[in-house]
Amino acid sequence: MRPTTPLLLITVLQGLSGGITLAVAAFSFLLPPASDNVLRNALLLSFAIAVIGGISSFFHMHRPQAGKYILRRLQTSWLSREALTTGLYAMILGVVALGPLVLPINSWWYWVGGVFASLAALAAMFVTAMLYATIPAMRSWHSPLTVLSMMAVGLSSGGYVMLAILGLSHLTSSVHRLAIFMLLATIVVAGIKLLQWKLFRDARRSLNAATGTGMPRAPYRIIDTGTTRPPYQTQTQVWPDLPLSVRGGLETVAVLTLVLLPLGVIVATLGGTGVGLLTVLGAISFLIGTFVERWLFFGDATHSSKVWFVDQEKVGSRVATNRLSPALVRRFRNL
Amino acid sequence: MQLTIITDLNKCVGCKSCQVSCKEHNTAGAFGPVPDTNPYRDPDGMWWNRIVGMETGEYPNAGVLYLPKACMHCYDAPCVPVCPTGASYKRQDNGVVLVDYDSCIGCQLCMWACPYGVREFDEEHGVVKKCTMCVDRLEDESLPDYERQPACVQSCPTHARTFGDLDDPESKVSQLVAQRQGFGLLPELGARPAVHYLPRRPATVVIDEKDVLRVMEDRY
Repeated sequence: MRPTTPLLLITVLQGLSGGITLAVAAFSFLLPPASDNVLRNALLLSFAIAVIGGISSFFHMHRPQAGKYILRRLQTSWLSREALTTGLYAMILGVVALGPLVLPINSWWYWVGGVFASLAALAAMFVTAMLYATIPAMRSWHSPLTVLSMMAVGLSSGGYVMLAILGLSHLTSSVHRLAIFMLLATIVVAGIKLLQWKLFRDARRSLNAATGTGMPRAPYRIIDTGTTRPPYQTQTQVWPDLPLSVRGGLETVAVLTLVLLPLGVIVATLGGTGVGLLTVLGAISFLIGTFVERWLFFGDATHSSKVWFVDQEKVGSRVATNRLSPALVRRFRNL
Repeated sequence: MQLTIITDLNKCVGCKSCQVSCKEHNTAGAFGPVPDTNPYRDPDGMWWNRIVGMETGEYPNAGVLYLPKACMHCYDAPCVPVCPTGASYKRQDNGVVLVDYDSCIGCQLCMWACPYGVREFDEEHGVVKKCTMCVDRLEDESLPDYERQPACVQSCPTHARTFGDLDDPESKVSQLVAQRQGFGLLPELGARPAVHYLPRRPATVVIDEKDVLRVMEDRY
């Protein structure tokens, strides 16, 4: 489908914010009280990211004036639920993050508030992922891997940003604790992404013109999509197949920035190399990788209606071109 | 009641009169317009009914198949439950799936959910539009009876399309589906489309050995 900037921002920033919030909740137990400033700054950053994601979601609505009806279908629509859970998350996070600015706060605020905000974040991320995973027509997304992937990548991106915050604060012992966890998380992310890309390939191959008719007498070759070219302008769920070089190139960039470079940073950090700038590099790399994999998630997705729209494999018609295969010529000569 | 359109693929000649008449009626109809945003540069605007042309089979038994494809008005329309505002809905009285433009936020989730790719996004108005089964014609009591049917059905020169109530076992559409193995597209996705197609009956290929040899001699 056609990837759009609001969708990329909503999904990536929601995961990033949720990951930071979860890391704050986890580290509020482990960090000494003197680090309240670090937790406060992390929560403020998480809230700012969530707000930017929320604002970008308005740009995904082409008629925001009808947005007041968005909670009407909570019983059936994952998008309704997403609006509710993400809104609740932003509100809880707002209270938890902005509270220390106006109230005298003790350390307990961070872990109690952090836990509440984390639960809300996990719910919002799960609902957002389910929105994509529960569309049977999107053959590439209709899988539990979609939920696993979005949650793993989102939480890991937040983890890497938290690692950078801790690194810049020179909290070496905390950096080491988180780095070990991020090492495992990155390996999990790599595994899930590889499985998901395989699923995308399988989905792409499983759809062709023959599956679109439900009739025998295959093979079928699309010769006319109804208009002079596929309706990419009015139907955003279909999108031209990515050229092999583009897909391969982006997947390589994703592997490099989402897995290899962050793993290198983790190993160097655990080895005792200076943690400050290195962890920032790791966070930037993972974020770039997150955007690339999310672009691929949208841009490389296969919709069931592709069978009638998207360019088919270029197998020329032997009837139209008079180009008979030598085997056929031999077959007819022997009749 | 479940209104539907049955298309006989033996009769469809791919003339696209249904495609054009759909656009003509609905551009001026109650649920229109069906816009061409940039008609002089981009002739491929919005169409609620598209005739897909396919080449079938292998030479020498090749043929051409035309598949008119519009909203299937599914029994379990997947576009309806995903809509967050309730803008997409299925009418209880006649089974037609419609979009309430006033409630539509233009999120396009219904377009992703529709297995058939028959919903179209109108960037100008920010809403998703689709085939309405010409419900404005069906319910317009000022029209004579013969015009109270979808524009695509009325305009078909070969009478390939038949309109009626699929839930009525006595209706012509029900009998056509039952007697001629009418089928819906992509049944594996579970939408239970109301729109059905009547499969093509294999035509006898009258090519004998002499014909083949003559053509082969001429060309090779």
